[in-house]
Amino acid sequence: MSQANQSGEYVDVPPSNVEAPDAHGKFSLNEDWAATAVGLVILGLCLLQVIPDIKGLFL
Amino acid sequence: MATTNTNEPIVHEDAQEQPQGSPAWGFAGFVLVLVLAWVVQVLTTNLPDWTEGTWFGQVSKSIEFPVYAIILGFAFNGILSLLGIRDRMSGGFRTEFFIKIGLVLLGAGVNVTVILDMGLPAVLQALLLIAVVFFFTWWFAGLIGLEPHLRALLASALSICGVSAAVAAAGAVHAKKEQLAYVAGLVIVFALPAIFLLPWLADLMGLSPIVTGAWIGGNIDTTAAVTAAGAVAGDEVLQYASIVKMIQNALIGFVAVALSIYFTLRVDRPAGVDAMKVTRSGWGEVWSRFPKFVLGFIAASLVVSMLAAAFPAALEDGAWLDNGMSAAKTLQTVFFTLAFVSIGLEFRFGALRDAGWKPVLVFFAGTIVNLLAGLALSSLLFGVLFP
Repeated sequence: MSQANQSGEYVDVPPSNVEAPDAHGKFSLNEDWAATAVGLVILGLCLLQVIPDIKGLFL
Repeated sequence: MATTNTNEPIVHEDAQEQPQGSPAWGFAGFVLVLVLAWVVQVLTTNLPDWTEGTWFGQVSKSIEFPVYAIILGFAFNGILSLLGIRDRMSGGFRTEFFIKIGLVLLGAGVNVTVILDMGLPAVLQALLLIAVVFFFTWWFAGLIGLEPHLRALLASALSICGVSAAVAAAGAVHAKKEQLAYVAGLVIVFALPAIFLLPWLADLMGLSPIVTGAWIGGNIDTTAAVTAAGAVAGDEVLQYASIVKMIQNALIGFVAVALSIYFTLRVDRPAGVDAMKVTRSGWGEVWSRFPKFVLGFIAASLVVSMLAAAFPAALEDGAWLDNGMSAAKTLQTVFFTLAFVSIGLEFRFGALRDAGWKPVLVFFAGTIVNLLAGLALSSLLFGVLFP
C-alpha cells in the first residue's frame, strides 16, 4: 500500500520541461518490430553474401 | 484517470510538451552517432599501437570498445548541450533501436540448444529476482514516503529492464513525464559503473562464464548496459547475459498489467470502475508489451543452427555460412557501438535535479538487494542446480 510521510506529502519529482525518454517514437511497438525486421533482413543478406564482411573497412 | 491502454507515450495531464527537432535534425543526430562509432573503432584498433611504449600503452590494450563509445557519447552530449542543439538532434540517438538490431544479429552466433538449455533456470531466476527486487523497492520506497507512481517506476526499472520497463510502467500507471525522465536518468547513472564493476567482480570471485552472464543479465537494469558489460567480459559471457536479460525483458508485460490493474483499482480509483473489465482488457497488454526483438533473436539462432546442422561443411573457414556469420558478427559490433555511443548522447543531466536524496537512496538500496539476490540465484541455478 502507498503511504505518505509524516507531513502527509509524498516525495516526488518537481515539474520541469525535460523531454521524456519515449519522445521521438522511442520505445514504441513500431520501433520494436522495425528493429526485429531490420535485424533479420540484415542477417538474411549476410547469409546470402549480399552484404560482405566490412571488418577492415569500418573496424 | 488510469486505463490499461499503454501503447502511446502517456504522461500526466499537467505535463508540458517539449519542442522537438525536425527530421533533418534527427538525421544529423544519426550521422553524428555513425561518425562517433567509426571514431570508436579507430581508437579501439589503433590506440594500442599509437601509445606503445608510453604509460597508456598497456592500459589501452585492455580497453574494450564500449568504454570509448560511452566516453565519446558523454563528451559530445556536453558539447551539443552547450551549443543548445542536443535536444533537437536527439531523434537520431536511438539506443534501444540499435541494441535490438544488434541482439537479433547476436542470435545468429548462439546455437539454439544454448537457449533451450538456459531457458528453465533463466525463467526461474527472472521470476524470483523480479519478485524480490520489485517488492523490496516498492516497500522501501513506501516506507520513506515516495509518491506511488514514482514508486512503481523505480520498482519496475530496478527489477526488470531499466528504462524500457520504466516506460512500460509509466504507461500502465499514467506517471508524469518528469518521473519517467528522472527514473531513466537514475537507471543510466547506476548502470554505467556496473558495466565495468560486475565483470571485474565476477573475475575477482572466479565465477564461471555462465554464472557471470546470468549475474550480469539479471542485475544490470537496462539491456544496452547488459550488452556493454557482456562485451567487456567476453563473447561467451555476452551470449549468456543477453539470453538471461531477454527472458527477463519478456516478463515486462505481466508486470505492466499488474500495475495497471492495481493503480486503476486502488491508487487512482475512479467511481464506478468495473474490476473485471479492467482485468480482461489488461491481458492484451501482455502480448503488446512483449519485446518482439526476442522473437528475432530466437529466429536468427534457429535459422543459423538449422543451416549449420544441414550443411556442416559450410561452417569451415571461408565457406559461405562461415562468411555470412562473420559478416553478421561485424555488423552486430557496429550496432552495439552505435547503441553505446547513444547511451552517452541520450543521457539527460537535467532530469536528475531537484528530487532530493530519497529516490536515490531507494535506487541504491534496490541495486544492492538486486546484486546480492542476483549473485545468490545465478550461483545456485546456473552453478549448482543446472550447471
